[in-house]
Amino acid sequence: MSSRRSRQSSSGARISDDQIIQLISKLQQLLPGTRIQRSNKASASKVLQETCTYVRSLHREVDDLSDRLSQLLSTIDADSPEASIIRSLIM
Amino acid sequence: MKMHTSSKLRKEFIKKWVKGLQICCSSKKNMDILERKKKIKLCADIALASAKNETTLWSIALISEAKKDDENKILVDNLLGPESRFKPRMTNRQMIACHKRVRSKKILKKSRHVCQKMKKMGPPKSNLAAYIAKKLVKRRTQVLKRLVPGGESMDKFSLIKEALDYILSLRIQVDVMRTLVNANEVLNQSDSKIYN
Repeated sequence: MSSRRSRQSSSGARISDDQIIQLISKLQQLLPGTRIQRSNKASASKVLQETCTYVRSLHREVDDLSDRLSQLLSTIDADSPEASIIRSLIM
Repeated sequence: MKMHTSSKLRKEFIKKWVKGLQICCSSKKNMDILERKKKIKLCADIALASAKNETTLWSIALISEAKKDDENKILVDNLLGPESRFKPRMTNRQMIACHKRVRSKKILKKSRHVCQKMKKMGPPKSNLAAYIAKKLVKRRTQVLKRLVPGGESMDKFSLIKEALDYILSLRIQVDVMRTLVNANEVLNQSDSKIYN
């Protein structure tokens, strides 16, 4: 963190532009259905948009899975042997 | 290197989430499905954030947001343990440091723009496309800021960095939860087989 600050003060904001471009390309790699990288400027806004969509879909998945778990767990006692089986299954 | 840290995060998340589920599910056995779901989700979010161990801004922001709700506070404190009492101080300090970075970056950016403008005054047509692109980026950055916990107070650089980590962590959360749901369903199936 301190190294980033000293880099900035020595060569202005130019390096952080490159870093942003690098980050954006890393982000692009995470997104589902990524194609070959086009020119950086054109895809920056697209990457941001797809990032937002992806985060929203991940939120929705967590929400949906919580729903299903709630329905399933409502039939299982926390101290029951089934609970410990579940625990051993996922570890 | 990344696989190593992600499996460690996964284990931490599972440990904390299961602990949280035990706390949730042992109290009030007659919870209705919606209330239980909210608790499950809250446990999952807190477990994920706490497993980051204050190494990211989003996780710190998520926990401090959850603590603001009085209903959740007891559960959160139980999940986080006695160290949670020190967390608000870390949050404030890191948030202040982040704000300072934001301000100094803004000042740098502004002075750079002024210099650039004085240097080149290109033809209006080429600027239009760049102008539109800039507007789009700005608008979408705003949306992303609202999606990432604590994003509102992050500068663009930190926001993207945090979004990267947030997505990776969310994936782990989804994967673990999905595994548990599947395991549960397998158990329910095998149960019915035994009793048939």
